[in-house]
Amino acid sequence: MAINRRTFLTNTGAAVLASTVLPALPAEAADSTRKLTILHTNDVHSRIDPFPMDGSRNQGLGGVAPRAALIEQIRSQEEQVLLLDAGDIFQGTPYFNVYKGEPEIKAMTAMRYDAATMGNHDFDGGLENFATQLQHASFPLIICNYDFSGTVMEGKSKPYQIFRKGDLKIGVLGLGIELDGLVPDNLTAGTRYLDPVVAANTTAEKLRKEGCDMIICLSHLGDKYSENKVSDEILAKESYDIDLIIGGHTHRFFEEPRKYTNKNGGDVLVNQVGFAGIQLGRLDYQFSSGRRKKLSKAHTVVVGKKTRE
Amino acid sequence: MFRRKFLFAALIILLTSCTTSYQPASLAYAQYRIEKTLPSDSAMTALIQPYAVNINSVMNRVIGTSANNYSVSMPECEVGNFMADCFREMAEKKFGRKVDLAVMNRSGIRSYLSKGPITVGKVFELMPFDNLVVLQAVKGTVLQQFLDVTAADGGWPLSRGSSLVIRNKKATDIIINGKALDLNATYIVANSDYIANGGSNCDMLKTIPQISMGYLMRDAMTEYITALTASGKILEPIKENRVSNGN
Repeated sequence: MAINRRTFLTNTGAAVLASTVLPALPAEAADSTRKLTILHTNDVHSRIDPFPMDGSRNQGLGGVAPRAALIEQIRSQEEQVLLLDAGDIFQGTPYFNVYKGEPEIKAMTAMRYDAATMGNHDFDGGLENFATQLQHASFPLIICNYDFSGTVMEGKSKPYQIFRKGDLKIGVLGLGIELDGLVPDNLTAGTRYLDPVVAANTTAEKLRKEGCDMIICLSHLGDKYSENKVSDEILAKESYDIDLIIGGHTHRFFEEPRKYTNKNGGDVLVNQVGFAGIQLGRLDYQFSSGRRKKLSKAHTVVVGKKTRE
Repeated sequence: MFRRKFLFAALIILLTSCTTSYQPASLAYAQYRIEKTLPSDSAMTALIQPYAVNINSVMNRVIGTSANNYSVSMPECEVGNFMADCFREMAEKKFGRKVDLAVMNRSGIRSYLSKGPITVGKVFELMPFDNLVVLQAVKGTVLQQFLDVTAADGGWPLSRGSSLVIRNKKATDIIINGKALDLNATYIVANSDYIANGGSNCDMLKTIPQISMGYLMRDAMTEYITALTASGKILEPIKENRVSNGN
């Protein structure tokens, strides 16, 4: 554990001094701004209603109305919340066949999602439909390895976005999966897929230089594969600046976030919460502080199960 | 001694206050299940209500009955066998010609069957994609390559009368419509246009001309189940070792 400034000052008997030298930064306020609650979903696949009560494994699970209530409850308890989605918002229930994604995007806007990336099934109504449905989104669509130039999506996505959460500066970037062989050409409509590891590292380095305290990658690459196909696992190991990967595509229910070591020897966490909005992921981060240059690139993150709800 | 300590502390404070930045130090996680027992957000319920009313009026129409609960699994499952049989039979009717084999791509099966009524909505969940049933005349050698891809993926459903055994991620002991695969013969194969266009690593099919009538796979399923019901039957698909794992 890094030394907390307040603990350090108390230990050296200089706590009183701190409050006089730094009146603008009382210890209590400083603490609350160093916590961030990340809520996330992936592969919700148009699951607007809960699964029907038909005796199946997932009956009664999911649905936007109970998810919205849970998110609202967490927001009432936590000051700094980021709500994120890792793609495949569309396809899977008749809602999508009939309404082409409108209620899905409107529901996400109502829940105040901060950002989402694009999954392969978000192309299912065609690229033009996706661009059209984004008019209902109050959140940015973030992706740095799809080149939409010359397509209907040009100018409608961002490679990254920086969020100010209290004192924290959080950079979010997005990654999409290889489209060739997965999404028909008539649906991708000129979208160019770029190497996700190169795009992510370039974007993350830029975010780090812009002073981000934490860098989150929304990824629809998939957690890992038996063959040598690029995945969150490969990305984590090949990365330098990414702290957290919110994954999707492989519909995996992680028991706990997976931890990898990046190229700088630092910790990278990966989490994924299955599909269909059956789960909502929650990651409560505590931050240590210091001078930028003193902060180690190879920092570690202590992971524990949240016990108090 | 006190003075040195004091100066040191003051220096630290000055340095950290100028260019303080933060980095993640600890993480507490929770994976919440969205259960029926949770309260519902009334504003959200109101937002989706107009969509839900319309969807439910179309989708709740019952078209047939499932004899049992059937989940989706590899290398063989009842749901997959039903779909492959449906596409072969309906394609023969629609296109008016003999079809040797229908294959259902495994990742295209998006739901399960529950015992009891089958609704229009269930067909949409099983086959949400607007994919078409298309026919291709596929040479035996190319069919072998295609079936190898399905074997490497863990096994895809085949229509009745055809079977294979997966060994080392390859398709072996291939039977097509009751006879061993002849590499020199040409077979009429029903696939989704997604697969025929080379999707899911099926590049070998991409250049083969397609016979298409704009027939949605979902419509084929609806018509198949409706016809079954009209003849007084319920849907009762079986597993019969069409696709199995060898040693």
